[in-house]
Amino acid sequence: MNKWKKKQPATIKRLKRPALSGDVFGGKAGFYLARAVTNIRQNVFVNVVTIGTITLALLIVSLFLLVYVNIESAAENWSERVQVTVYFDKELTGLDQNAFREKILALPGASRVSYVTRDEALKRFKVRLKGQEAILEGISPEVLPTSFEITLKRSHRDTASVESFVTALKRIPGITEVQYGEEWVRRFNSFLNFMRLLGALLGGFLVIAVVFIVSNTIKLTIYSRRDELDVMALVGATRFFIKAPFLLEGLIQGMAGSVLSIIILYGLFEGFLHNAGNFLTFNPVSSGLNFLPLEYIAGLLLAGALLGFVGSLTSLKRFINV
Amino acid sequence: MIQLHNVSLSYQQDASALNNIDLKIGKGEFVFLTGPSGAGKTSLLRLLYGALTPNSGQVLIDGQNVTRMSASQIPLLRRSIGVVFQDFKLLNNRTVFENVAITLEVLGWGRADVGKKTMYILKQMGIESKYNLITQRLSGGEQQRVALARALVNDPKILLADEPTGNLDDANKNQILSIFKEANIRGTTVVVATHDRRLIEQSHKRLVTLNKGEIVEQMEKETASDYQAP
Repeated sequence: MNKWKKKQPATIKRLKRPALSGDVFGGKAGFYLARAVTNIRQNVFVNVVTIGTITLALLIVSLFLLVYVNIESAAENWSERVQVTVYFDKELTGLDQNAFREKILALPGASRVSYVTRDEALKRFKVRLKGQEAILEGISPEVLPTSFEITLKRSHRDTASVESFVTALKRIPGITEVQYGEEWVRRFNSFLNFMRLLGALLGGFLVIAVVFIVSNTIKLTIYSRRDELDVMALVGATRFFIKAPFLLEGLIQGMAGSVLSIIILYGLFEGFLHNAGNFLTFNPVSSGLNFLPLEYIAGLLLAGALLGFVGSLTSLKRFINV
Repeated sequence: MIQLHNVSLSYQQDASALNNIDLKIGKGEFVFLTGPSGAGKTSLLRLLYGALTPNSGQVLIDGQNVTRMSASQIPLLRRSIGVVFQDFKLLNNRTVFENVAITLEVLGWGRADVGKKTMYILKQMGIESKYNLITQRLSGGEQQRVALARALVNDPKILLADEPTGNLDDANKNQILSIFKEANIRGTTVVVATHDRRLIEQSHKRLVTLNKGEIVEQMEKETASDYQAP
């Protein structure tokens, strides 16, 4: 109260409120908005606390989202390694290659098929043994098998789908030897499921905590101004008339909080997190963390506005007893 | 104007706050409610502006049954009733002007009219020069006059006052009393709850005495104009 007192200017503020000319909606909406803005100006401290709380709360959620989104995309990259390889002990003719390619691509789940010739296989082998190429001296490409490398569609990279794909693959006449790193696929997928469960749990708790903290903060700020609610009710204000400016205020607080949290998150991201992600991915091409995608940012803005609005709505219910 | 029929009220199961109250207050009357603390004065006033509903009985204001009003009708009732309290119930971080103007804004008055009417009533109360001060900075008497201005600015049919002079010195008491009388002369029905004997004796108005939730005594004064005995 005292803080406020000092700030009060000595001259009367010019009333900027538009005239309430009966039932013109625009006039009323303007009146409520002007009232909300006046309220914010007259209760600066309370509003700073509320907006700060919403900002921090949403910052925690958005940081979590940022990490989650990046782990998901890293997992996406890792899952590229879920690959099925079909080996042949002879070099295939162009016709044979095409025939197999067509049959394989006709199977559900197949995304890309590439043929690896004996020369190509030897080249890869050499790359893998870099520094010890001497071992391969005198070895001719004929020792190595040729192969088809099959990449699976995203939806078909879980353990069960991979297994059924392999079964179907083996039914194609001429295909006998199939390898797909069974153990790795299983481990990778169970790890992924564990991470998703953990993420959902953590995210759920976080959202509950945030809703709880924000709604309580708003409740306290409205509680501190309940005399205003009482006076308005006393002079015959309808519930809507009392509520509308508070709801708008909540909406403004929520939006301000979410915008601030996104700005801070972006600052943190640019400052620290941007280059910290190399450990998350095996694929050097896509190293580094990504910022939140646009739809997540829009979601956060909406969540902030909703948080402020609904928080005010539920709190008001408790204090308005007309 | 105000009628109570067999009104009983109890806050919890235990003691009843009001017990079988029958009371009629005519249009333009000036009535003092008195009695010791806890006699039910405040409860009775709260019934009149719809802040409480009785457990049984009927409360009629200007022919309308308050006990049957829905929550959305209560605000409309309150627009014709001005209320002042011992603790003024002003918004401490707002100016005098804002505190009074709120009554008219709620009614949907235009800005220019709100300004004119508010300054007019402040002038009547003799505090127009302080219109831009925060109410916290005013003396008790001035604060009560702001509260009265807020209650009277839209010319209510009824003015209710709950211990309006409880926090004031004698000079201020007289000033407040004369404002009540002026409002009454202009046609407002006035009900003042107080246990200030001096205030009552000075004013020669109808007196209703409550004790333990019941009306124990009614005294009529010759000045009561169109009062009809219950």
